[in-house]
Amino acid sequence: MANIFPRWSNFLPIKIAVCAGSAAAGVALAFAYYATPKALTVGYQPSQPIPFSHKIHVDQLGLDCRYCHSFVDVSGHSNVPTGNTCWNCHQHIQRESPKLEPLHRSMNPAFPGYDGKPIEWVRIHKSPDFVYFNHAAHVNRGVSCQSCHGNVHQMEVVWQDQNHSMGWCLECHRAPENHLRPLEEVYNFGYDAETYLSNNPQLGVKTTKDLGLKLKEQFQVNPKESCATCHH
Amino acid sequence: MSKRIWQHPEVPAGETTVSWRSAGQLEDSPAFREWLDREFPQGAAEMADESDAETSRRSFLKLMGASTALAGFGMAACRRPETYIVPYTKAPEWVIPGKATYYASSMPRANGATPLVITTFEGRPTKLAPNNLHPDAEGTDAFAQASVLDLYSPSRSRQILKSGKSAKREELDAVIAAIAADKAAKIGFLFGADDSPTRNRLTKEISAKFPAAKFYQYEALTGEYYSVLGDGVKLVADFAKADRILALDCDFAGTDPQGPVTPFFARRKPEGKVYDQKPDASKMNRLYAVEAAFSLTGGMADHRLRVAASEVAAITSAIAKELGLFGISGAPQLTDPKQVEWVKATAADLKSHSGKSMVIVGSRQPAVLHTLAQKINQTLDNIGEGKPLLAVQRENQGLGSIATLKADIDAGNIDTLFLLTPSNPVYDAPADLDFAATLAKVKTSIQLGDRTHATAHAATWHIPAAHYLESWSDARSARGTYTVVQPMILPLYPNCVSELELLLALLAENGKILDGEGENAAPSPAYDAVRKTFAALGGEGEAAWKKLLRDGFLAGSQYPQATPRAYEAFLHTHPAAPTKDSLEVIFATDASVYDGRWIDNAWLQEAPDPISKLTWDNAALIAPKTAKELGIYDEIIATENPRALGSPDGEGENRKSPMIQVTVNGRTLEIPVLVSFGQAENTIIIPLGYGQAFDKDDALGRKPANQSHVGLVGINRGFNAYPLRNSRSAYFATGATVKLTDKRYPVALVQEHNSMYGRALAREVSTIDAHDEKGGFEKQLANVVKQGNDSHAPPNISLYKPKGSARWNPGPDGKAQPLINDPLHQWAMSIDLSACMGCNSCLVACQAENNIPVVGKEQVAKGREMHWIRMDRYFAAQKDNTFDADNPALVPQPVACVHCESAPCETVCPVNATVHTEDGLNAMAYNRCIGTRYCANNCPYKARRFNFFDYNKRNPLIKHNLYRGPLGERRDGDSEHLQRNPNVTVRMRGVMEKCTYCVQRLKDSVIRQKRGQKQEALVAGKPSTEMEVTEKTLRIPVDSVKVACQEACPADAIVFGNLHDGDQSSMGRSKMIERNYDLLHYIGTRPRTSYLARVKNPNPDMPDAKFIGKATIHMV
Repeated sequence: MANIFPRWSNFLPIKIAVCAGSAAAGVALAFAYYATPKALTVGYQPSQPIPFSHKIHVDQLGLDCRYCHSFVDVSGHSNVPTGNTCWNCHQHIQRESPKLEPLHRSMNPAFPGYDGKPIEWVRIHKSPDFVYFNHAAHVNRGVSCQSCHGNVHQMEVVWQDQNHSMGWCLECHRAPENHLRPLEEVYNFGYDAETYLSNNPQLGVKTTKDLGLKLKEQFQVNPKESCATCHH
Repeated sequence: MSKRIWQHPEVPAGETTVSWRSAGQLEDSPAFREWLDREFPQGAAEMADESDAETSRRSFLKLMGASTALAGFGMAACRRPETYIVPYTKAPEWVIPGKATYYASSMPRANGATPLVITTFEGRPTKLAPNNLHPDAEGTDAFAQASVLDLYSPSRSRQILKSGKSAKREELDAVIAAIAADKAAKIGFLFGADDSPTRNRLTKEISAKFPAAKFYQYEALTGEYYSVLGDGVKLVADFAKADRILALDCDFAGTDPQGPVTPFFARRKPEGKVYDQKPDASKMNRLYAVEAAFSLTGGMADHRLRVAASEVAAITSAIAKELGLFGISGAPQLTDPKQVEWVKATAADLKSHSGKSMVIVGSRQPAVLHTLAQKINQTLDNIGEGKPLLAVQRENQGLGSIATLKADIDAGNIDTLFLLTPSNPVYDAPADLDFAATLAKVKTSIQLGDRTHATAHAATWHIPAAHYLESWSDARSARGTYTVVQPMILPLYPNCVSELELLLALLAENGKILDGEGENAAPSPAYDAVRKTFAALGGEGEAAWKKLLRDGFLAGSQYPQATPRAYEAFLHTHPAAPTKDSLEVIFATDASVYDGRWIDNAWLQEAPDPISKLTWDNAALIAPKTAKELGIYDEIIATENPRALGSPDGEGENRKSPMIQVTVNGRTLEIPVLVSFGQAENTIIIPLGYGQAFDKDDALGRKPANQSHVGLVGINRGFNAYPLRNSRSAYFATGATVKLTDKRYPVALVQEHNSMYGRALAREVSTIDAHDEKGGFEKQLANVVKQGNDSHAPPNISLYKPKGSARWNPGPDGKAQPLINDPLHQWAMSIDLSACMGCNSCLVACQAENNIPVVGKEQVAKGREMHWIRMDRYFAAQKDNTFDADNPALVPQPVACVHCESAPCETVCPVNATVHTEDGLNAMAYNRCIGTRYCANNCPYKARRFNFFDYNKRNPLIKHNLYRGPLGERRDGDSEHLQRNPNVTVRMRGVMEKCTYCVQRLKDSVIRQKRGQKQEALVAGKPSTEMEVTEKTLRIPVDSVKVACQEACPADAIVFGNLHDGDQSSMGRSKMIERNYDLLHYIGTRPRTSYLARVKNPNPDMPDAKFIGKATIHMV
């Protein structure tokens, strides 16, 4: 009886296994590199209807975060300023700037293209629908805006600075001492733990790590890791 | 370690109680066995049946192949979708994005407005809760809870109709303006039975402007009662003051309210309302009920006598005679010695509690009973200030009835008729009035309503009504406290007009309807009208008005006292007692659709009837013995009876009830029939309000009719019994005959769904010593925890190995580390079966709070209903009951996830989607769930629900829609979705869900506490590094968070709180009393929800006293 399979087919199963294996490994690696939140979300920097510069408003003019994001310490949701918040100042300042056209359209009845409709800001930080993140729970307990949003005060155009994946959340929930600040410093983008310690020797704390631990103890911060903390 | 060895006694010692959920179980059918054994019934877990063959395996593969191929093309579009944040232009005051705003308002109703606190998110009302500051606060019933869904109902009327066809607003405006201009116009107004001070004031103004105007009042199943004791006089019950209550066919706890009912339930708890006293039977009230079929009130009764509705007159008469009064002339003497004995003992008990008892009569019983009961109460000194009953004078007086309206129309006194009643007279008026023909005689009829029902189509004009959550108005609560109705939102659709706006248009110079936004964004004229009414009552000025809006009511504005009409010997013919050849038909108020007005409310339709457990339809109910006598019993339970069918069909999707033909008053109705336990013999109960419209999909192939009258929810629902009814037999009709037909109708009954195994599931004790082995009250209380298997359960042995073993898990302090270790909060709940009546209020409130989808009749029949709270209803009877063996006890028991500390569901989840939290919740991570359903399989309480389909994405009410997969009709942007709670995930297909203890509310309160604590410290002026934070300051105040079911409960039967508060909280105290027991304690799950045994307070002199309080439920 003739051989049905030629000789070269002896190694075929091994070849197929090796190929499939390396393909699978490739897919896994590519996924890890390109398709995880770290790769997909960090650096997302869409252009906004008004090229609003946080650098000018926060760094140069010294506005507090809460002037515009006024309910961040009250509500779970950190609000984006309403049209009249912008208009409070900009009906007087830089009124004629062409960049403010969308604001005029929304707020200025004397403007030719006025429609009274709100400005549509492009969302940058988005947690999935099944995640409940509460801003108030964090900023009132010593976690700064800066910890999650990066150096917004230096951004001409805001981008996403941290990956906001679940692993990233848990990193801090497991070791909050790395991010805790005295409550007075939560909205201070110029905060530096070393400087704070040298200015406040009465605390009796030597290292920044110990400061975090002291604050954790002081504020009784015990972040939860169970699912229902964020998923309900 | 050895296995736990059980030595079960064959039958729990001394038990003579038989308990059951359904006739099928009583007969021990294989179908019931199946419900018991499986977590979901056979078929529920399968993808399709033959009629849904669209998704065969073959087509599934085809679709999958195609979509994989298309996905290749789609990859190019794999970019992050751009989404937008759209802030307000001008920030409205008080609105904080992401935070709920609460307003006080109320729901106007015939028996008195229900005071409410309304939750709104960014201006969107989503959830109603009772306003507990209000003097007439009494929780909310299922209707009030479900009313928010009506606001967003897709079938809500949105268009002006002229003779049933859509018409222009201008045309209507011209008609109204012409009426307003004609001062001699012969106008009639047909109002509902609610009492609105502003409407009453406007009525007077209208009378002044149009001298020929006439006013009437009509609601199908209420209203007439208000003319019996005098024009607008009613008796209001104060249950806190009543030690003895005799309810004569009066469902005061359910559909026939007689006054705020919460105090009644407070006195069903021997330890007091908040469990802070020693158990004392003498502080409990005692309820006697006389009724034909079980009502919620009858289920609560300590002594229940079942008689036909027509025989209640004879019983009342006999009670009167016992008390030395004259009875009703011609009333037949009671012949049954048992009834005589019952009446004697009841009368004696009422008499010995003179001044602290009450006799109340169902508002639909004939007038003579009301006046006689009034006389009895006067004799017993029960009426007056500080007494259990108070006669009050309602404001809306001088209103004609629908019969006088008909007479006036026939006499030509009315040219224009405004139909403002929430009822639907063309459909629900007594048949002999032939209201449709009467209405046709009126030149112009203008109907205002939120549904396009039969009357809307029969009237010349139909105007879409604004919902009460969209309009300014006011109302009187049960005892008459002035209560405001505030709009939460502008009308969702243009052209929606409120009742007051319509009346104001007639009074306006130009006769123009100003609605909602008004001209130039001025507030609705109804706002000014309500302010004017209020100014006369509560004073002028902003301060008083602001207080009204904040509190929702004006304190001290009750109705004045009235003198009720003295007893009159109204002509009353006593029909002969019903027999099997001349049955009595009772037209019952339905617990889901009321008089038919809620037919389009999906939550109410899917909420099972509290007694029959039927969803989505009505059916005739008949006592088992009568059914046997009529020869239809075997037929009725044929599908349940093991002797008739060997197949697993029965209960479930293939269950089809036989249909009977009921002939009464010369008319015939074909309707499916169900067995109803505890019903009076020779009576047939037919709930009203169904059968309003049919289309081609009707299961019986009935002729399509009235399709435009209802939406998808209300079409093909049940059977219309209104045509059988005429003015003289509005409540019951005698002389009915019944014939079995060969038709069958599919019914979605949930009585056997998710049946549990176990002994002593619901436990009951009695306050008296019946001289049997159960002993006295104290002994019975002490034995509550030792009932069923708990009487002989061997101790639990921990699986976890001691120190030194591989499983040893030390904490930071070197001791064993508890898994549930939050030092601040440990949540728990207890449910008091002594107060629970099984009214479904919690079930609907849960649905509103937690975005629970409606699944539709076909899915319910398969056992796929999604309600997180399952309202179990058990019947239990004593084998040796010699008084009335066919009058079982009814025990409701709400069961949701009990949050076991060692939860069987958690150990079997392969992906850790259900895990425990530190604060004692059994959490469900939906995004992790892959739908293996192992957890549901392993849940001994059967508390888990599985999303077999994406009910939120595709409407389950469209036939076969769910089975079309991706080809099914989507429901994106459905108006109902506006009702969603933004803090609760909307679950998708393939995900398990269950009670979460309203975790969103818990998290919210905990975060609020943390924030408040920070504010406090900063106000003290210290730097945050010196701030004092302790466990105590981070713990939320005692009893400061309420879960949705607890909040809604009119009986305060559910208490919830933090175990760390110990006896400071009601919940903590309730867990310490003797009545507290765990459901299925012996399996060692350590549930966080516990139950309090039901207490019955029988009268030792009653012939049936020793059979009361023994309904401990054994389901093995």
